Amino acid sequence: MMLKRTERLIRKCSRLQNSYIQCSALHTTKCLDSQERLQSFRTNEDNPLNHGGEHTAQFYKLSDSDKAKVFLYGGLPKTFEIQAKTFNETCLMVRKPALDIINCMKNIDYSKPAVRFVLYGKKGTGKSLAMAHIIHYAYKQDFLIVHVPWVGNWMRRCKEQSNSETREGYIDLNLDAAAWLLHFKTQNAHLLSKPELKTSKDHVWNKRETTPKDSSLLELIEHGIARVKYASETVNALCDEIKTLSNDGKCKTIVAIDGYNAFFYPTTRVFTVKKEPVPPEKVSLTEGFLNISKFDWKNAVIVVTVDEIAIAEKDQVSHLPRYLLGKKGFEHLDPFVPILVENYTKKEILSCLDYYKERKWITPFTGLEEEVEFVSNSNPYKLMKICASL
Amino acid sequence: MLSFSRNFEKILLNNVEKSLALSISYSTETKKEVKEEFRILNLKSVKGKVQPRKPQKQLEALQPRASKMPVDQDWASVWPGPKTFHPASVPLPVRQGYVEKAAAAPDKYGNAELMKIPNFLHLTPPVIKRQCEALKKFCTPWPKGLENEEKCEKHFPIEVVSSDYCHSAPTLRNPLARIVTIKLKLSSLKLDGRAKDKFIRLVGERYNKETDTVTIVADRCPLKKQNYDYAMYLLTACYHESWNVEPWEELKSEADMEYYYWNNNASKKSVEALFGKPTEDIPNVQEYSEAVSTLINEGESEYLVTKYGQSVRKLLGLPDELKS
Repeated sequence: MMLKRTERLIRKCSRLQNSYIQCSALHTTKCLDSQERLQSFRTNEDNPLNHGGEHTAQFYKLSDSDKAKVFLYGGLPKTFEIQAKTFNETCLMVRKPALDIINCMKNIDYSKPAVRFVLYGKKGTGKSLAMAHIIHYAYKQDFLIVHVPWVGNWMRRCKEQSNSETREGYIDLNLDAAAWLLHFKTQNAHLLSKPELKTSKDHVWNKRETTPKDSSLLELIEHGIARVKYASETVNALCDEIKTLSNDGKCKTIVAIDGYNAFFYPTTRVFTVKKEPVPPEKVSLTEGFLNISKFDWKNAVIVVTVDEIAIAEKDQVSHLPRYLLGKKGFEHLDPFVPILVENYTKKEILSCLDYYKERKWITPFTGLEEEVEFVSNSNPYKLMKICASL
Repeated sequence: MLSFSRNFEKILLNNVEKSLALSISYSTETKKEVKEEFRILNLKSVKGKVQPRKPQKQLEALQPRASKMPVDQDWASVWPGPKTFHPASVPLPVRQGYVEKAAAAPDKYGNAELMKIPNFLHLTPPVIKRQCEALKKFCTPWPKGLENEEKCEKHFPIEVVSSDYCHSAPTLRNPLARIVTIKLKLSSLKLDGRAKDKFIRLVGERYNKETDTVTIVADRCPLKKQNYDYAMYLLTACYHESWNVEPWEELKSEADMEYYYWNNNASKKSVEALFGKPTEDIPNVQEYSEAVSTLINEGESEYLVTKYGQSVRKLLGLPDELKS
């Protein structure tokens, strides 16, 4: 029965497609006048190193090879990923917040302590995608990328938890830590093979297992992945090593943490054996990433996002950084540069709709722009949801 | 019973008299033969010709007093005190009220609108002048050195307000006269930061933040003097108590602070650690510290966060925000 139905559906679709091709052939002459506008929504400058103010509101293509290296294990929001798959390409819009941070990164004096940037904005305005753009830039600049795709995945949807063996009262999220190590390894595969990235001290795991001094970072990571039991400790050790290496000028590092405020929200959904909720500071992973987001090291840029979605729904009151970070988090990050991610501007929304039209994702009709802009309130996420059915 | 019997006797006696008289008259008629015409039984007594009633004399309405008033009269004796408007006493063509279409406003006669509103006809400038002249002999010259408000406030920081009432009633006392209000500027008291904070907490809602005034109202005692003494006592007690430091006050920690002082907070420490030198040597730190303090004291808003961001950029020497 099911099979029959799908068969019919497929047949119908193919018929529709045929008719659509005919239609589009008719339309080509008509669309010529809007050719110029269609061109302006896309830029051929696919290298984020060259992006500047003239590229705002234009889409650039994230090449498949880069995507496979940088965003293989997360980093792009899931809904965006699905859409990218549908469009058969991954295009990011060049927007002001990302450009702003990239501009700062170009001008930072890396011999000074690390600068912290905090991306904030309402739900669905594109904080994570701005971060993806920045990471892509950092990747092209050969930064060592310490990227946490979504802290909420650890604090609110962890895979498993166990009591820490080394420290009393701490909880390890070993599976998540190992997954992150893999993510780190994939993102920095081209750098980790460098000979100068070596550990600065011995890491003793137990009586028999030790990662000796001057072994490569890759060995440390491999050990963490292979011995999941020590994954959390490995992450903390790795963060420490990265700080030392950057401080010594062996590498430049970008720390990108999405949903950073989850580290400071008083409760998590990680539970002890007695089913008591664990505060985030008692999760061993927190320590490493709080350590790496301090300013006490050089050759580094720290970009974090604060997001309402990373905390419990009852407390999603404001999107502003002081509220989301809380007193402790604010003091930890202060002084930081807050970067507001806003809803689409008129230019951006037109560009986005043009892109959707080019992808044959929406059918153009008169008054579409105004209506869609009104209904979605120019919110990028809502726009994507609305256009999915047009 | 006694009175009844007496009445009965009276009636009896009357009847006897009447019957006697009747019997006499009958006896004479029979003697004289009938000469006069037959008298008709006249039950309705008609007394001669009915006089036509005199038409009542219409009283002539007097002209309103206002029209007879001389131009140079003494107005103060016409209208000596406050009272409701009276059209005949006021020689002015005043009009007041709802204006009908194509008509003038209602004139003063029978005009409720004019009676409703309070008037100051008893306080005309010549009257005031005369009253002031009369009062002058009770006045003393204005003290030297108190020429303006600032000087007054400096020498007499406490303002005492009470009311006296004068009215015709069986009693002279008015209960409202006992209430005494004292007002003073908080800045006129010698207090340091901590003592000032404690004073404000002690007086509570009696302190007005906008005008920096403390107002103490005393009305619990029956007499004005007592209330005044009590208010002064309260002020003195609050002042000395605010200078007292209780042992538990020393336990006040950062979390209990009502304002965010950048200088004793983590933000200052981290900035000093960031630059590796004391705050005084860091350029642009003033703007930054102000931005942090306002952000935390005034509560977050997009504007303040942006301002904070700009000050951090300046502090760290980062390029300005891109213009969209």
